[in-house]
Amino acid sequence: MNMAKTLITTCAGIIFLSFAFVAYAQAVPPPLSIQILSQNTLDGVAGDYVTVKGQITNAGTTTLNDVTTYLSLVDTGTKLPVDLEDWSAEKGLYIGSIDAKQTLPLSWQIHFVKAGTYSLIIVAEAGSNEVPQVSTITHFNVAPKKNLNPGQVLPVALGTPIVLLCILFVLSYRRKIEE
Amino acid sequence: MFTHIWHKEIRGELYTWKSMLWLLISSLLFSVTCYLLLTNKELSLLDQTELLWLLGKVIIGVGLLVITVDASSIITTEFEKETAESIFLSPVSLTDFVLGKLLAALTLWFAIFIVSIPYIIVASAGSHLAIPFIAYIALLGTLGVLGFVLLVFAISLFFRSSKNTLTTGLIILLGLSIPAVFSSTLKNDVVSQIISHANPIDNIFSSLDNVLVDYKVSLLENWQFIVPLVVFCLLALGLLAFAMYQFQKQGVIRSE
Repeated sequence: MNMAKTLITTCAGIIFLSFAFVAYAQAVPPPLSIQILSQNTLDGVAGDYVTVKGQITNAGTTTLNDVTTYLSLVDTGTKLPVDLEDWSAEKGLYIGSIDAKQTLPLSWQIHFVKAGTYSLIIVAEAGSNEVPQVSTITHFNVAPKKNLNPGQVLPVALGTPIVLLCILFVLSYRRKIEE
Repeated sequence: MFTHIWHKEIRGELYTWKSMLWLLISSLLFSVTCYLLLTNKELSLLDQTELLWLLGKVIIGVGLLVITVDASSIITTEFEKETAESIFLSPVSLTDFVLGKLLAALTLWFAIFIVSIPYIIVASAGSHLAIPFIAYIALLGTLGVLGFVLLVFAISLFFRSSKNTLTTGLIILLGLSIPAVFSSTLKNDVVSQIISHANPIDNIFSSLDNVLVDYKVSLLENWQFIVPLVVFCLLALGLLAFAMYQFQKQGVIRSE
């Protein structure tokens, strides 16, 4: 009877401690946090530039060193990550140290290269933390570029040399007749 | 009298396959450029103004190349075919001779310009830049071509050989074109800036940039590019006048 009592008490203790630990973990925010200040969804046409703005905050009580932020872009159509080669001149921003309670601005200029739908997140990692922090998702809706009508170019691109060729034949024929 | 030489040259230009082929080749180059600029996924991402600027550079570049090659042979063939003597035995002055040839070379440029107009209109669709684009291609192209033709004619009278004139003309054209296509970051030092301001091709491209990209379309906003082009034409005219003076002193048959 006593053994059963001890066992129940021990189990209850373990469960209580687990709950307490989880509650504590939820109550203490991670030291780094990223907020997106620009709109959640950005629309544009291929070729446009948009600016994604945010801020990074050190909510902890100690200075964080070796802080780096970088972008991660995913094509939601193909579900594949996108190479940022042409999309952004600065793929990552090395911030260095952030003092306790300090907030720093983040800004990326993004070039819409290809039509489609994309999701972008900003990832931040500090040298001392094993787990990186991520921002909320910014959605891109990129429409295809239609500022020029390629339908008009084909008749001109093909027609002009053909017309010139015809003129050339006519002039050559007239020259033969005159001779 | 110069009109007689001009008409004779035009007849020769228009009625021969070889001469008309230049126009066809120019047209094909414009077609390929225009089609790629408007349909190629990567190139079509350029702003329309930058796209027009690129097309403008191609039109002026092709025009200068064709006219330099044409002008290199238009005078010298008269010496190589030994027809110069009979021309100068007739009542044709050297000034009439040069003026007739000059008008013939400028007519070829005019033909290239006319061929380029449909491409300019298609590429400028929806931008309201078609008229300034056509006007500035006409103005800058004519000034550039005029300067080069005068320069090449002077070289023709000095050398009296197609091969030497063509080689020298092309070297000058290349020498002026290569620095003109350098990016502005490579022109930050004083020497590069002085060369850039003196280079006629650089001034043509900069003025096109000013008109098409920055939308500064008035002549007052482009005088800093047009004045060096006029100076280039005047210098080339001075050199031609000197070459004509030397030619008259030496005579048609030069004693080596």
